[in-house]
Parts: sequence; C-alpha cells; structure tokens
Amino acid sequence: MTDVVAGGERGEIEHAPAGTEERSLTTSLSTSSLAVLIAVVVGGLIMLFSGENPLTAYGAMLDGAFGSRFALGETLSRAAPLAIVGYGTAVALRAGLITIGAQGQVVAGAIGALLTAQFFETAPSAVAIPAAAIGGALFGMAWVLIPAMLRAYFSVNEILSTLLFTEFAALLIEYLLNNPLKPPTAITPQSDPYPDNGILGLVIDGTRFHTGVFAAVIIGLAFIWWVRSDRGFSYDLYGENPNLAQSLGISSNRVIINSLLISGATAGLVGWIQAAGLLQRVYVGIASDIGFFGLVVAFLGGATAGGVLVAALLFGALQAGGLAMQSSEGIPASLSDIIQALLLLGFSIRYAPQIIRLTRGVMANFTLVGRKRR
Amino acid sequence: MNSETGAAPASGTPLSVRGVSRRFGAVQALDDVDFTLEEGEIHALVGENGAGKSTLAKIVAGSILSDSGSMSLFGEPYQPSSRREGAAAGVAHVRQQLSLVRGLTVAQNLQLGRPDAPAIFNAGAARAEVERWSDEFGLGVPAETLIDDMPLAIRQQAEILIAVAWGARLLILDEPSSALGPLETQALIALCHRLRSEGTPIIYISHRLPELTELADRLTVLRAGKVVVAGADVRDADLREVATLMIGDVTLLEVDRPEIQRGSIRLAVSDLSVSSPHGVGCHGLDFEVAAGEILGVVGIAGNGQDSLAKALTGQVKLTGGRITVDGTDISGSAGQAIAAGVAHIHEDRSNGLAASFSVADNATARHIGNRRFTSFGVRLGDKIALHARELIERFQVRPPEPAAKASSLSGGNQQKLMAARELEQNPAVLVAHGPTKGLDPEAAKAMRDRCFAAAQAGGAVVVISADLDEVADLAHRIIVLYRGVVTDAFSSEDMTPERLGAAMAGLTETSGATGD
Repeated sequence: MTDVVAGGERGEIEHAPAGTEERSLTTSLSTSSLAVLIAVVVGGLIMLFSGENPLTAYGAMLDGAFGSRFALGETLSRAAPLAIVGYGTAVALRAGLITIGAQGQVVAGAIGALLTAQFFETAPSAVAIPAAAIGGALFGMAWVLIPAMLRAYFSVNEILSTLLFTEFAALLIEYLLNNPLKPPTAITPQSDPYPDNGILGLVIDGTRFHTGVFAAVIIGLAFIWWVRSDRGFSYDLYGENPNLAQSLGISSNRVIINSLLISGATAGLVGWIQAAGLLQRVYVGIASDIGFFGLVVAFLGGATAGGVLVAALLFGALQAGGLAMQSSEGIPASLSDIIQALLLLGFSIRYAPQIIRLTRGVMANFTLVGRKRR
Repeated sequence: MNSETGAAPASGTPLSVRGVSRRFGAVQALDDVDFTLEEGEIHALVGENGAGKSTLAKIVAGSILSDSGSMSLFGEPYQPSSRREGAAAGVAHVRQQLSLVRGLTVAQNLQLGRPDAPAIFNAGAARAEVERWSDEFGLGVPAETLIDDMPLAIRQQAEILIAVAWGARLLILDEPSSALGPLETQALIALCHRLRSEGTPIIYISHRLPELTELADRLTVLRAGKVVVAGADVRDADLREVATLMIGDVTLLEVDRPEIQRGSIRLAVSDLSVSSPHGVGCHGLDFEVAAGEILGVVGIAGNGQDSLAKALTGQVKLTGGRITVDGTDISGSAGQAIAAGVAHIHEDRSNGLAASFSVADNATARHIGNRRFTSFGVRLGDKIALHARELIERFQVRPPEPAAKASSLSGGNQQKLMAARELEQNPAVLVAHGPTKGLDPEAAKAMRDRCFAAAQAGGAVVVISADLDEVADLAHRIIVLYRGVVTDAFSSEDMTPERLGAAMAGLTETSGATGD
C-alpha cells in the first residue's frame, strides 16, 4: 500500500520510472469507443471541408454496410477474413510476439489452396474443400516457419523477419501469376479459375455472403477455447513474464514457434477463403490489405474474443460502406479509408504506452541479426 | 534556483513538517506527523513496510499532496504541488527503484529533464560536470557508460550525483541499501557522510536497523502512520527498543532456528559450470545438500548467484557438470526440475510473478498441465479459485481475494503469494534467492519460517543472498562465491566477519575450488 504513486511527470529529480500504469491490452474497451467517436467526428469535418455533407455520407455508408441484404452480406464477407487473421494474430500477441506477416501468409495460403484444389480437381467436393483449406493453412504456416525458427533459435526480431517474408510472398505471387500459373489466354497476371469442385458457394444469392464466412465462426470458437485452455494460459503467461514461464517449465521455443504457426495457419486459411469463396481465382492483389487490417483488428480488439469480433465488424462495415457510398452518392470511398486511418491513429495513441513497451522490449533485446550483447 | 550545492542561503531549519496527514481510501497512511530535519544531519526514518515512510518522503518531495498540515523548507513556507516544484526548491528524492533512463549515459541522464537545462545538449560540458562531481565525492561514476551496463551500486551513486548536480539542498534516500552487499553499503555510508560534511542534510529511509548506528545522527520511527519516536539521538538509542517500537513485537526479529534432523543427500552438484552472456557465470562448483539442511550461498551481488539459481532450477543449459535431485539429473530442464520437486523463490518478485494476472492464476501456476484443474483442456475457474483460496489461507496472503491482481498486493504479500505457489507441496529442493529481501520484520519472519519448514519437512534448502544477516539467520553451512568460484566453505558456527570478508573479496582459495 506504500506504493501509491502519483502519475509519471516527466523530468523531475525522479525521472518518472515507466510501468507505473498497469492497464493491459485486454481492458478499456470504452477508450477504444472514444477513438471511434473521434474518428467519426474528425472524418466528418474532413468531409465538410471537401464539400460533402457528412450526414449524407455517413448515411450512405451505414446504408451500404447494413441497409440491405446485399450490404450485410458485403460487410460480413469483408469482416470474416479480418476476424480470422485477427484471432490468429491475437494468439501470438498474447504470447508477447508481434507478427506483422499475415499479409504474406494470406498470399501464401491462397497459392497453397489453389495448388491443392487443382491437385484434387476430380475429387468430390467433400474431399477437395477440406483439402484446399488444409493446403492453405499449411502454406500459411510454412510462410511463418522460418521467421519463427529464427526468433526461437537465433533471437531474430520477428517484426522484421515476418515483414520481409511478406515482401517475398508479394514477389513470389507476381512471378507465379506471370509465368507458371498464368493461363495462356490471359493478358493480366492471374491464375486459372478456381476448380469448381472446391468453390465455397453463396449462402444468400445476390450477395457475396459465401460459406467461407462460417470459418470465422469456427475460428472464433476455437479462439474462445484457446483463451480458456490450460495451453493457452501457459502461452499467455509466457507473454506476461517469459522468465517466470520458463522457470515453470514452459518451453520458450515451443511457445514462440507454435503461436507463430497458429497465426500463420489462420492467415493461410484466409487465403483459401478469398480464393475459393470470394474471388474464385487467384490474383496478385488477392490479399488486398486483409493481412494488415487483421493486425489492426487484433490490437484494436485488445486480443480478446469479443473485441476482435467487434473490431472486425467495424472495419468490414467501413470498407463495405465506403464503396457503397462511392457508388450511390459519388462520394469518394477514400473518405472511408481516411476514417479507417483515423481510427488506427486514435487507437495507436490510446495504446501507445503498451505498444512502446511491447516493442521496446523487443527492440532493446534484439538486433536484426541476433541477440544484442550486453 | 542555484545549481551549486548549498550555495543558496540556508537560513533556518532545512525541513520542518507539522501535523501532516494523508489518507488513501480506507488507510490512514500518515496521521498528524511532525518531523524536523536539522542542519548537517543524517536523519534516519524507520518503520515497517506500510508504516508511512515512503508516503512522507513523497509528500516532502512533492509527488503527492498531504490532506492537511504544513511544511517549511530552510525557514520558508513550502508547499510543493509537483515533483518539479519540489526539485526546483532543492528537494531530491532517490527512490528504491532507481529512475535513470537505462539506455542513456550518466551524462545524458544528467541533462534529461534538468530544471535549468540549456536548450541544446552540450555533451562535453555534461561529461565534464559528471567527472567533476564524481571526483569531488571520490566516486567512480563513469560519465559515458550506459546505465544498463553499470552495476546497481554505481547506478545508485550516479543518481545521487545527478541529484546533487541539479542543486539538491536536501536529499531523501528511500531504502538505498536494500539491494546492496556489505562493501557497497559501506561505500554508500561513506558517500552520505561526505554529503553531510558538504552541508547537505539527508533523510535516510530504511528498515535495516544495524547500519543506522554507523550512519545516522538521529532517528524517527513511524508505526502505522504515527510518529512513535521523534528525532532520538542514534547513539543513545537502544536498537532493540527501537525495533520493539517499530513493529510492536520484538520477537519477530529473533530467529530461533529449529533443530532439524539431517537426512540423506537430496541435492548433488558436481563440477557445475554455466556461462552467462552478461555475468560471470559459475565455474566448477561442487556441493551437496542433505535433507533438512540449509546451505547459505553468500557473495557480493554479481558473482555468479544468478547463474547458480538458474542452474539449480533447470533454467539454463550447463556448460559442464551435472545437478541431481534424489538421483535424477535435472540439468538444463526446468520441467524436470519441477517434476523432481524443485521450488524457486525468485530474487526479484516482479520476475517471480505474473503481475497483471490474478492471485488465483499466480498461486496455481505450477499446476499447468495438471488434469485435475482442466476439462477438455479448458481451465476450470471454480476449481482453481477454490484451490487458490486454500493456498491463500495457508500462506496468509492478504487480502484473501483470488480475483485480485497480483500487482495490487504489497511486497510482503507478493512474496507470500510466490511462496504459496512454490511451496504448496513439500519441495525436495528449495532454492530461495534473497527470500526476505525488502520485507518488513513480520513478512521476513514468515518467509524464514517457510524456509525452516521446508527443511523440517525433509527438503534440501539453498539460500542465496547478499544479505549476510539473512544467511546467518538461516543457514547451517555457508559457501562463498567470488567470480563464480567457491572461495571458502564453512559451517555457520565458524563464520567470522574476517573470514567472510576475505572470501567475498576473493582473497582466499580453498583446496577444492580453483581460480579462473
């Protein structure tokens, strides 16, 4: 009780030690809501300055996100991949690992799913669909395996290595779709159409709500199990205090490699869903920005089950609504991008202490090539 | 405001506190406290954890406000509303957890946030200033070394040096010796005397009574927020009486070591070597500990204690030798160490607990993988909370609230929580690293009793500590580490200050241990 500390003013004789604030990622949803409110207000002001009526714009966005069966399907089909990536990233985040390579793992997963589906082209759908899902997940895992091993065995910073592997994936898919995977008749880089027997059908006709969206539900349930499980607890404990976890017999290498593999597998699944459900073909831009927004969703949702769901729906709605606004009112969809960016900004300011603490630990202990000698 | 020590006209009493009270929620942390710091004195402020020492220090420094009462500083009314104001008035508060920025040098820390800092950082001038002050006080504080790369004792000196350089007219040192070894404490005492002779009065907060006789001029004792001894002369004070007043029960300070029956060898360490990237590691250690025996490992901090503790608990790969518990090799495997019944009281409580996790999760963390508490892999919260409640009861963790965050507990209760986790089952081997460090007498007694109980139940106990009193209280047998090598070994009856001092300074070498 003696350590009731007044807040850390900067620059006194006591240089205000860090870490007096004990809020965790998993709390303070209310402050996240404040970030949303600020983003909406500032976004409205920007619309006003660019000569649009914010009320019309927001009305069109809401309508485009929730106003019709089509709009709802659009929102869900955009939210589902974000949620899946978000849950996978959250597992790593809770274990204290900051992987930002989901984007590349989505690309790898899409390639993996396509190749697997082509291999099972003549098999019944009941075989081809799960096989392609597994193929996608395995490719996603493969794409994070090297960064995971480098982190576990050589302490190479996973932020940098996963980002590098995203670049590799971007280059690889560009090569594949321009050369071996490109049909002779195609002009732009793209693959053959996704095999029919592997397609994830529409749930509601006239929308883009396909059965792949249900994968998000399954992953969400799996995440809830993980958070409550003994194994998940030991991973969370590692994220909270690696020294303690190791002294309790929790293997550091196992936590690092497995949690990164889990995040890779979920991102790979998203690649499969996009290829087999939404686009039914593989394009260079198949991942759009799902990988990156999935990270935002994981952070914004506080790496919790409910938080990630809400954040994924929010971003799904913003993206669907933004496009609808453009087509119905002629207001550029980039205004929706601005709001998403404002959200990201607001949330990063809110979580700045945590992010700095997380990354400072990483940055202080590692260099690109290995553990810093002290 | 002047940057030179004592250059400001020091008219009047350096510090006078009158009728200060402060309440935190339901707790009256300070109750109508009077305190006077005279010119040129070192005034010891003692009391149990939670007696209000740190609260008083923070009020004087300006980091918290008092509810009522008044203060004057060098004869002038003084009512700081922030630490910045306190610092500007010349009050420097050096806290238990040092507050230097670890990735910067001493010279950079000197300039960072300095009240009268120039707009542009002048590296040369800052370095010269650090060197000047370091010379003046006869310290070895390097100006250009990163804080991270300096031993704790030097960091502390650097922080005091910076406080003085910033123009402190009055220093508050909060538990400065709690992490220091005997030699380092001596150096600290010398520095305090030096500062006193230069005209800087010091408030010295501690609950280590013995060192105060040498250090301080007067002492004030706080108990539960009230002054029970006001400014008594240290030379005339009876320390036993002071201790009684401080804690109300002097038997807490007395250690009566129970008679414990020795059994067979449980822990055997042969030719143990560990290399450490930022330490000295251990080289060729050989020792055995029997059931019911308590082995003390002493040495100045940083002579291989960390490596030894990690090795004994299976947390590091050995570069040589082996460690067996009841004949089972546990070398390099924390999982096997736990399975063999090795318990570990971590030296640093923040390292030994998951601070933002609940008390229940912390208390039961050794049960990870225990099917009793899971169903289909899912943790059964009710069963865990129930079990945690039993442990809380048994180990007297307060408040007895399984859902509370571990970080919300006081230091003593965090230590009890860690003990609850580690000592739930009678351990085969207990590795207790600084088990009573920073604890008040009551909590310290509880921890000592836990160590004795572990030995009585047939465990082999290894107490690693820089605190010689702690080891003398607990251990039957003592080994001394110097640069990762055992320089002497003797039974506790043969312990003399001379022999210990020589071994800790590396001046002796026993037949078994070879130098490096």
